[in-house]
Formats: sequence, structure tokens, C-alpha cells
Amino acid sequence: MSNENVLLSIKDLHASVEEKNIIKGLNLEIKPGEVHAIMGPNGAGKSTLGYVLSGREGYEVDSGSVSLGGEDLFDMETEERARAGLFLAFQYPVEIPGVSNLEFLKASVDATREANGEEAITSADFLKQAKEACKKVNLPVSFLKRGVNEGFSGGEKKRNELMQMLLLKPKLCILDETDSGLDIDALQVVAEGVNSQRSDERSFIVVTHYQRLLDYIKPDYVHVLSDGKIVKSGDASLALELEAQGYSWLQTEPAEDELEG
Amino acid sequence: MSEWFSNALIRAQDLTGLVDQQWMDPVRTKAITQLKNTAWPNRKTEAWRYTPLRSVERTTASVKSTENDLSQLAPVVIPGIEPIEVVFIDGRYCAALSSGELPEGLSIVLGSKLEARDELLDKLSAIKPERHLFGMLNDALAQDVVWIKVGCGVSIDTPIRISNLSSQSAESHVKAFVSLEEGAQATILEMADAEGQTLSTGFTEYDLAKNARLEHYRFALQTGDNVSVGGSHFKLEEGAQLNSNIIGFGSDLQRLDTDIIYAGENANAKLNAIYLLDGKELFDLHATVEHAVPNCVTEENIRGIVADRARAVFNGRIHIHRDAQKTLAELNNRNLLLSDKAEINTKPELEIYADDVRCAHGATVAEIDKKALYYLQTRGISRAKAQVMLNFGFINELIDQMPNEVIAEWVRPMIRSRFEQMEVK
Repeated sequence: MSNENVLLSIKDLHASVEEKNIIKGLNLEIKPGEVHAIMGPNGAGKSTLGYVLSGREGYEVDSGSVSLGGEDLFDMETEERARAGLFLAFQYPVEIPGVSNLEFLKASVDATREANGEEAITSADFLKQAKEACKKVNLPVSFLKRGVNEGFSGGEKKRNELMQMLLLKPKLCILDETDSGLDIDALQVVAEGVNSQRSDERSFIVVTHYQRLLDYIKPDYVHVLSDGKIVKSGDASLALELEAQGYSWLQTEPAEDELEG
Repeated sequence: MSEWFSNALIRAQDLTGLVDQQWMDPVRTKAITQLKNTAWPNRKTEAWRYTPLRSVERTTASVKSTENDLSQLAPVVIPGIEPIEVVFIDGRYCAALSSGELPEGLSIVLGSKLEARDELLDKLSAIKPERHLFGMLNDALAQDVVWIKVGCGVSIDTPIRISNLSSQSAESHVKAFVSLEEGAQATILEMADAEGQTLSTGFTEYDLAKNARLEHYRFALQTGDNVSVGGSHFKLEEGAQLNSNIIGFGSDLQRLDTDIIYAGENANAKLNAIYLLDGKELFDLHATVEHAVPNCVTEENIRGIVADRARAVFNGRIHIHRDAQKTLAELNNRNLLLSDKAEINTKPELEIYADDVRCAHGATVAEIDKKALYYLQTRGISRAKAQVMLNFGFINELIDQMPNEVIAEWVRPMIRSRFEQMEVK
């Protein structure tokens, strides 16, 4: 397969946190426009994958390679990965009092523009875009003035993540348990937002424990992650199978570290 | 004993008996007597342990005897606010720059012009604790006292600003007394501005009667070789509310003492303070809260950023007396140091003699929040820029809490530009 058609390529990735192996030989290829769901039990390494790909401190890559748009991801700093089109929507977005949402959003958009050789957006133009984005994700415009995620409810934080996605227009979005803590209405708002951003130019990794989210965001592929590896892949029907069976079939063998422990 | 101190006492003595000063004699004489029994602080004096007084001892500033020169000095403009002005220049009240026409229910009078001076004399220096050496010096050396009084139930919407302006190498002593009668409301700004080597003391006492509400801002923004020691001292009667905001830059010596004294139940006070220090500047804030009665609430948020070789001193004492049951008190001091040579001496003190109270205190010299830093980086913001945003956010959080938005919007860019200069180094 030619690399040109692959947006993200993960080859035999091994990664650890505090010297504990979490990702143990993961392979995945994603082409532009595809939506991949990664499902799996708690502790399988689902969130770790997002942190490793985004370059979080303390998440060590032991071996393997990852390329994004043909570039070696691990050659880049966290912010460079973001500017190259990687976007991680957090399960628990951080609250930053004192830094206004608007200032934060503009700084992110400007950073990406600068990386692409564009000039900073004017405040007036940006405000217009941000207000439109607010409307799309159903957040009051007043949220732009508030501190980043400060005092936002769980659903508001997720919608704020979505708003950032709308403004940054990334190539690859990793949605980390975006459904957690959301009621069905909030879930629909987020799913609609995501669906509105689906295009041939943009791919998604939807990380989730439950099949529920995939009723709204239809994946092209479903992968089961267990003990740091993808153990099964299939189409959307696999998610339904998992819903019926649960994850217990995966635990026929105890995890390695349990043996060691 | 320093030479400056001895001279100051002689100068104070010379003021007694002067025609326009005589009315102050009871206060002045008392102060002189006490000062004569007070040792000039040295490094072993607890209240001055981290704040050497060399710059006072060596000052070349002196009291100006000439007429005020009005051409150079004027209070700074705050866009969107036309305050009711109370202006002192080189320690003397300046009628020309002060507001003449006042809204109903507000009176601003010079002590010497008062017919019934005894009333003011009884109040003066009764709130400000006697332990403040420079407060006592201010009693001894101040030549004009302004009494600002807001009548019963009166709400003054326009902020009242007390300006302490100093010309080149002037020594000045500014004194004001503020009474908010029952149910009265007001916003008061205390601001000092000085150029060149100056020495200034500025002390204001606030008497908040039952259910009075005060919004208070004190700006200590003189930098360079200015030496400034001052205080704001509040007494709160039943149900009174205080929201006080202090913004400090450092200078050769910048010291503020604030006292909050609860004299009636169900009163509350919020004190937010910000300091931003650069170069070799020094800023020292001593805040004391006396919970003498039950059911009062105090919240203190003190935050500072200290760069280069600057030094900050914070001493926050909350004293909960035996009868002050059901007190709620929180004190939090957080600091960011931008360089290895920057220094903070912080000392929160809780002294609790009542058994049914809720109190918390803490002081930190913070590292940057790594989770927040990572979050910003995942959005493409460089590490360096993210750090600056977070550091400023740390201060900005308290600016956001200022109740007067116009003042907050004036303060924000000023703080930001100082902050950016500090970061650049």
C-alpha cells in the first residue's frame, strides 16, 4: 500500500507509563475520511493510546513507529503534532481559570495558522467564527468569556472540546470516551457535531467503552483493544456483537502484569 | 536609632502648636510620645524581618515647603470612570484637583476646616492598630486629614478616589478617614503615584457601620527608588461587607499593612491581593484579620509573581478570639517565581481560640500546572506561550473577581504589560 493514501500508520507500538507496559504491540492504519472505533474493557490502554499519540509527558514510547501524513509523529513536540492536524478530545478536559476561552481558542487557531504560513486571524473575524462555532455546539456565546472549562458541566466541557475541533479543523480527531458522563440528549448534540465534521479530508478514532455512541457516530471499522493490542477488527456489526457479549470473552487469559504481580 | 527617625520626631514636635496644625495636637502628641518609646526596627524585629529599612534611612526625600506645583501632577485617567477626586500633593490636600461638588449624602472635609473637630479626633487612629510604626509616624507627621463620610442609607455609585501624588524627591504623609454610616455603600480607590526618589506614608481608616458595604481598591504601583509605607484599616460593624482589592508593584521599598477588625456579627470581608515584582524590587504585604465576634466570614486570596531578583513578603494573620464562634476564614497565598534568584517569604498564621470555627490556610510557591500546560500544547500552543498564558491566568483569575468591571478592564492591560516585560527577561 502506498503511504500517500494513509493518514495515520501505527506499527508495532509499545508504550509505557511509569515503567509499566500499557501498549504492547499495536498496529493500526487509518486512511483519510475513515472513522475507526476502538472499544475495549477498562484498563486495556484506550486512553493511553491518545496520550501517547499526542505526546503527553510521562507516556514513554518504547518501540515501534507512528507516522501522521507521512511524517514521523515522534519527531514532533505535542504542539507540533497538533499543528500537523492531530486533535485529542479529552475525556476530562482541564479547567484553566484566568485564561479566557476566547483567548485560548484564538491562540490555538493562530498557532496552527502560523505553522501553515498564514497570518494571525483578526480578533473581529475570529470572534465571528467562534460565535458561529458556539451556536453549532449549542453553547451560549457567554462561554467564550469564561475561563477555559471553568465551572462547565460535563456536557459543556465535551461541547467545548467539539467547538475547538470545529475551529481547528484537524485531520485526525481522537475522541477519548467522549460519551462518558453524557445523557442521551447531550450525546446526540456531540454526535451531530462530530458527524457534521466528517469528510474525505478528516478521519476519526472514536475511543469508547460502550456501543451506545456508535449508534450515533457510525464507524467504518471497529477494533477491540485488550491488554495493549488490537485483538479483533471488523465492521460496525462487531460493536453490536460486543454489546451483546460484553468483554468477558477477552479475559480467558489473565493479563501479564497480573501474573507478574 | 536611625538619624532619619530622630529627625522625624523633631519635625513632628515642630508641628505641634502651629496655627493650622494645632487641632491635631492630641493625636500628634500621643504618637510622638509612643514613638519615643519605640525602637527603630532592625533585622530582629519580626514585623520588619525581611524588609530592611535602609532605603528609609538613606532617603534624600524631604518635605516640600513650597506651594504645590500643579502643572506636572494629576491623577491618572481611568477610561470610563470620572471619580470623585480627593487629591493630595506632596502630602498636602489639593483643593484645585479635588472634586468640589459632591452628590447628596456624601461629605468630604478637611479636618482643619471642621467646626466639630472633636468627633474626628475621637475616631482618628482608633481603628489603625498602634503596632504600625509608620502608621504612628503618619499620625505624627501628617499635616492634612480628610474625612470622607457617606450618610445613613446613602449609596454613592461614583467611585471616590484618594490620590497621593508626589513630586521629585518629596516626602509626604497622607491621612484619610472614611465613615460609612448605617446601610451606606461606596467604592473607594486609593492610589499613589510618584516619580523619582520619594518617601511616602499613606494611611486610611475605614469605619463601616451596620450593614454598610464598601468596595475598596488600593493601587501601590510606584516603582523605582520610591519608598512607600502605608495601610488600609477596616472596622466592620454588624452585617457590614468589605470587598478589598490590592494591586502592588514593587519598588525600593513598598510596604502595606491591612487590618480587618470585626466589631459586629454577620459581617464579611473578601481581600484579594496581587503583586508583580521585577528587578530588585521589594513588596511587603502584612494582612491581619481580627475575628473578635462570632459569625463572620473572611476570604483572602493573595497571589504574586516574582521575577529576576525581586523579593516579596507576605504575612497573613487571622486571629480568632475565644468568643468568635462560627467563624469561617480562609487564607490562601500562592506564588510563582520566574527566576532562581527571586524570593518569597510567606507566613500565613492562624491563631484560633474558639472551638467551633472553620478555617483553612495555605501558602504555596507553585510550579506550573502540568496538566493545563499539556492541554494547551495539544491545541497547538507552544510550551513557552502556554506557560505565559497560564502564569498570567494565575493573576488574571483575581482580576476577573474584581466587582467593578470598568476598573478590572483598566487594570488588566496594565498588569499584562508589566507581566510581559517580566516574562521577556
